[in-house]
Amino acid sequence: MSALGHYLEEEGIPTVAISLIRPQTEKTKPPRALWVPFELGRPFGPPSDAAFQKRVILAALRLLERERGPVVIEDFPEDDPRERPDPEWRPPFAKPDLDGASAARLAAALEDESERVEGAYRRAAKKRERTIVGLSGLSVGEAGRYMAGWLRGQTPESPNAEMSAPLALRFAVDDLKAAYIEAALSGSAKPSSKQLGDWLWNDTAAGAAIFALRSMCLTSDDERLKAIATASSDQF
Amino acid sequence: MARLTDLPPAVAKRYAELECPSFATTPWADGPPLAERRVAIVSSAGLVVRGEKPFRGRDADYRVIPSETRPDQLMLSHISINLDRSGFQEDWNVVFPLDRLRELAAERVIGSVAATHYSFMGATDPLQMEGYACEVASRLKDDGVDAVLLSPV
Repeated sequence: MSALGHYLEEEGIPTVAISLIRPQTEKTKPPRALWVPFELGRPFGPPSDAAFQKRVILAALRLLERERGPVVIEDFPEDDPRERPDPEWRPPFAKPDLDGASAARLAAALEDESERVEGAYRRAAKKRERTIVGLSGLSVGEAGRYMAGWLRGQTPESPNAEMSAPLALRFAVDDLKAAYIEAALSGSAKPSSKQLGDWLWNDTAAGAAIFALRSMCLTSDDERLKAIATASSDQF
Repeated sequence: MARLTDLPPAVAKRYAELECPSFATTPWADGPPLAERRVAIVSSAGLVVRGEKPFRGRDADYRVIPSETRPDQLMLSHISINLDRSGFQEDWNVVFPLDRLRELAAERVIGSVAATHYSFMGATDPLQMEGYACEVASRLKDDGVDAVLLSPV
């Protein structure tokens, strides 16, 4: 992000960057940056808090009026109040018993669970009039079945002519995760990302299946699968 | 939370040691007062308008996000699993604060909101993005933009 600031500024466009990882910004030295103490994925802070988000944006934009340079890095002073867990939030369904489950049993559990989540997800999307599911072009149940095929050791054909099978798998995983989270966000409680993540990764068949698929990709002979599994842990 | 001390040790170590580009120059472009500026968002969240091609892996190019885009049309195709997506799912302004910019323009805190915004894939080597960034700079100039809010994820 800071490098983009450098390139745009060289072309004469004034920029200010939000910084989530301060050491990276210190190394790259963009002209202006506001470091924020928020978690990765939330550069402007808490969702559904317009006043807070506006304070972040204004703190950043005001750096554009500074006369000193060529490098200004300031710190935003407030923490994100939505990082606190909401004790009222409840997972949408109980944890399945999958201790020691074989890949075949995990695949069956994933197919069953994703079919059930699809209904809750559809209701949530209709109520909120928004969803971010859609990268793979598969329905939630179809995404679950596609992933289950890989878990069973098959190499299912890509359901989309414009995507390789490994890319379709990656997007199916992204869509499935998104659908589960949207289903879990459908009530009035405001869970923290940690509550949602702990539930998805530890208490669902989908979470167990994604861990198993990642291990499978890392040991695969297909470099594309390996690349997806390793690249998914990197970011700038 | 994005303090390195709050991240899992392995993740924190990787971020702290991540190779970042260093530049010989430190450019600094000036502009008019904020109330007269036209502001665009440039994100590295791998954002893509529904129907456009999602980012694959570490694509170095960019996607265009017109200002008329609605929240239900914007998806996030960033490859990383280390970032929270639930905030964006609840409220797109957490990553793409277009509603906030519109409010600031209506309040005359900023001059106006750009007609078009842009998104890159943050996991890509930044050096590969340079040519595309210059292309975006040219498009921003054509739109009269003189302030860019760079949003990571």
